[in-house]
Amino acid sequence: MARLVMAAATPHNPLLWRAMTEPAPDDLAGVAANFALIRRAITELGVDVIVLIGTDHIRQFFLENVPAFIVGKAEHYHGTYENEVRTFGLEYGEVTGHRELADEITGREVLTEAIDFGISHEWRLDHGFMIPLQYLTPELDIPVVPIHVNATLPPLPSPRRFAVLGEHLRSTIENWESDARVAILTSGHMATDIGGPKQFHGSPDPDFDAEAVAWMRDGDLEAAIDGCRYERLMDAGNVTYQYVNVIAALAAMQGRGADLAEATPSRFASSPFFLWRAR
Amino acid sequence: MSKYMIDKFMRAVEMSDAAVAAYVADPGAFLDEWLTEDAATDRPADDRRLTQAEHAAFAARDYEALYLLGAHPYLLWHFTEAVYSPEFGESFGWRDLVERYREAVRPHGVPDYVP
Repeated sequence: MARLVMAAATPHNPLLWRAMTEPAPDDLAGVAANFALIRRAITELGVDVIVLIGTDHIRQFFLENVPAFIVGKAEHYHGTYENEVRTFGLEYGEVTGHRELADEITGREVLTEAIDFGISHEWRLDHGFMIPLQYLTPELDIPVVPIHVNATLPPLPSPRRFAVLGEHLRSTIENWESDARVAILTSGHMATDIGGPKQFHGSPDPDFDAEAVAWMRDGDLEAAIDGCRYERLMDAGNVTYQYVNVIAALAAMQGRGADLAEATPSRFASSPFFLWRAR
Repeated sequence: MSKYMIDKFMRAVEMSDAAVAAYVADPGAFLDEWLTEDAATDRPADDRRLTQAEHAAFAARDYEALYLLGAHPYLLWHFTEAVYSPEFGESFGWRDLVERYREAVRPHGVPDYVP
């Protein structure tokens, strides 16, 4: 059977792409170091498939068609968009999909008991997916199953649904007849505001960040679910809901405390870095 | 109120380099042309209408007005960034736009932007 060998969460802040030069500026050195730490874990643990949970930023999925959870079943994905190249200096990339694992996750003839997944065979991945991949697998050489979770266009799935997603991914991987070594990566934010009155001035809600780190550090799944109520997260910043992706990772690791749990400060907002190695 | 169409127009502009350039060159003309584009027969309903206030806000690149009218903040910021960045230079840069934008929207709290 396949093995879930690690789970991790990273930021996908596209402003890092131009700002985090080498050597990293002082205020981004921690961010660079944590990306490197998770990149090393992927290598050391011999990961050969990645399930990447992130949020499309209204690029592919606009208001005429808003899925809550959608799983990529394509053989290949193009990475990033013209506007992201212009605005953030991102680089186009090509990502290989993993159809077999995508089929396992979604169910095949009948939808899974866990979640009514949408599926996509044609999907251009935005920075929410490409930034983690570019920093964690710079050669883009590990096949990926992308899962988009709606965190920007209400109504949003409840935090408990993210836990169900994580549990479903774990059991799917453990029952998959394969010798693959799988990582679950989630891409998200700590307290963050974009286009609102609190944007780009450090963390808009350090109290939320501290609590949100503690839930992962202490392995407190119920506190995380309870603490991620919609109103609380929106008060912390209008895109903070993308933090909730990490609840899927915590649930996939059976609610165990993370080996690394940090909201790393930066000039933009604090960045989520969480890592669990399978024991 | 046409929040959906506000968001649709901002996204249409911001996602395309050519559209950004054309809109910046003449916002009113670009908007009028976009609003009157014929719906293709293979498209779903595409009712491109804006109120007078929404039209005026786009013609003036007025992000404060659009914020108040219920533009999605994420789309609005990137739209604003795209259509003002051609003016960046020594005396006005990205950080200045961030500050100017924040000062403009701060008094208005968080309007309801869900269409």
